[in-house]
Amino acid sequence: MTDFITIAIPKGRILQESVDLFRKIGIDCQELLSDTRKLIFENPSQKMRYMIVRATDVPTYVEYGCADLGIVGKDTLLEQEKDLYEPLDLKFGYCRLMVAEPAELSRDDDPASWSNIRIATKYPNITERYFAGKGVQVEIIKLYGSIELAPLVGLSERIVDLVSTGETLRQNGLVEVESIAEITTRLIVNRASLKTKYKRITEIIEGLEKHV
Amino acid sequence: MIHPASIEAPLPKGVTDFLPEKAGKIGYIEGKIRRVFELWGFRRIITPLLEFYDVMAMGMGEDLKEKAFRFDDRQTGRLLAIPPDITPQVARIVATRMHGYPLPHRICYNGRVLRHAEIQSGRSREIFQAGVELIGLDSPEADAEMVAMAVEVLKGLGFDDFKVDIGQVEFFRGIMASSGLAAPARNVLQDAIRKKDASAVRSILEREPIADAVKNEISALPRLFGGREVLAEAGRFVTNDRSKKALDNISQVLDILDIYGVADYLTIDLGEIRGLDYHTGLTFEGFVGGLGEPVCSGGRYDDLTAKYGFPAPATGFAFNILALLSALDRRPDVEASKTRDFLLFNLKDDRREVLEIAQCLRARGFSTARDIIRRDYDNSLAYAKRMNILRMMIIGGDYCADDEVYIVRVADNKGITIKKADLFRDDFTLDIDP
Repeated sequence: MTDFITIAIPKGRILQESVDLFRKIGIDCQELLSDTRKLIFENPSQKMRYMIVRATDVPTYVEYGCADLGIVGKDTLLEQEKDLYEPLDLKFGYCRLMVAEPAELSRDDDPASWSNIRIATKYPNITERYFAGKGVQVEIIKLYGSIELAPLVGLSERIVDLVSTGETLRQNGLVEVESIAEITTRLIVNRASLKTKYKRITEIIEGLEKHV
Repeated sequence: MIHPASIEAPLPKGVTDFLPEKAGKIGYIEGKIRRVFELWGFRRIITPLLEFYDVMAMGMGEDLKEKAFRFDDRQTGRLLAIPPDITPQVARIVATRMHGYPLPHRICYNGRVLRHAEIQSGRSREIFQAGVELIGLDSPEADAEMVAMAVEVLKGLGFDDFKVDIGQVEFFRGIMASSGLAAPARNVLQDAIRKKDASAVRSILEREPIADAVKNEISALPRLFGGREVLAEAGRFVTNDRSKKALDNISQVLDILDIYGVADYLTIDLGEIRGLDYHTGLTFEGFVGGLGEPVCSGGRYDDLTAKYGFPAPATGFAFNILALLSALDRRPDVEASKTRDFLLFNLKDDRREVLEIAQCLRARGFSTARDIIRRDYDNSLAYAKRMNILRMMIIGGDYCADDEVYIVRVADNKGITIKKADLFRDDFTLDIDP
């Protein structure tokens, strides 16, 4: 198996765009889009293997070398800070990581005077680093979904979350107050794979680069 | 009676008890590495497990200092450290204890260090290292010797799918020093280059008021990896002397490595800046297919022994034994290192004969243990299986004639009988194995 290239791809919206992108460089993985419960796909003629994993698990599979390459959002990489190469910005899946709060709070709120605030988020590490960098103490409440709900029911005053169109925020009466980072989808590479399979991996990186 | 497992006796995170199977494999790997070190003329030293923190700190960069375990010394009130790295210890020992010896020093060591691990990662805080230091030589030949030894060990351990990846910290430092960038920009750039994040490097550079030629140099760094052609590519655009010298240095080392015949195992990465703070020249890391972390790493450190009052050029590297173990765990020869040859199962009341046979087998180099507990055949065999003992020898009972012993292979219960007299003959060989 060592002469195969294994790619970890998350299910969901990234999957479709990834398959389209790989097709442009002659790597056929249409099979991933079929309605099946299979988690691993093999293309022996191209010596490629694909694993379907949760987005937050992609960096782990790649860091430990179970996958040579992975496709994952920059938000996940910032949150987990694994020792990986991130040689290519694939440019799709654009969104922003924001601090948001209820519109009525924001009317006379001054971010410069924040101190001891409570934040609900899926991204406790990014949140902690961001506010530590500003010298603001935060109490972080880790949630796994529907972050926008937290300020509406008084769980926290503010949230840190991904925003793409801003529609969910608007419908829940929240507004963006500060931008932490711009997020796009990245190609990540295991360190040992880049060295031991550098010819094939460089080909893939350089091929993809022409199409992003 | 209290069941042992019901007593709470946990371990701190990041350390492990290694039971006989694993410990045997670790010993096997360490033995193979030590043998190569010896064959290259290196002599072992043993470093202490405790040092004064301020003394160790003289030889450590910020990254290592932060990872050291520290506590108070009751006797002196000074701060003690458990070494997070052995190289600074070797530098201290060479500078303070061995300065009268002629150079070069060829020193090897085999030990454990402790490092604080990143929060929430389940990684080991205890690192098993086996390494060498070559002190007193600044020639490329010394750097080549280190790389060639690393390749020899990896080949000897049975790897074929591995690469030793060569970097040169001076190449990167030369570009940064001549760039005119301020420290904060350099730090974020360094982080992006470490990740080979080309788009981040470009967007950081866009904001900086520096010449386009410099921007081109820096933005090339994330892609300057591959085979020897990388050197020519870098040579085409790099302008500062320091980086050019670094490229020459790599070329010279590679020329010598060609003579060693190891060129096929080498890759070059000029954007690799993971070296420890004390590195000053050629650095390298060994990677094996399918394992995310490097199995060895090292490089040149010309300024380290001077910190202890004895300036001398030096280079060295160390293997990470546990990384090697996880790559080699299932290999037949490594698996075999956990096995033992014989379990003696005595059914006679008299123990004289079984003790004589045991001594005879051990004298012939077979590892041999006696099943002293009284139990039946099946239970003894089950014990042998669990303990990775290959064969059980039955003395007495009605498994064979009185002048014979019965030997059963634990894996498949295949048995043979052997005349006792034959056991003691000089040309005794065991033909139970296929």
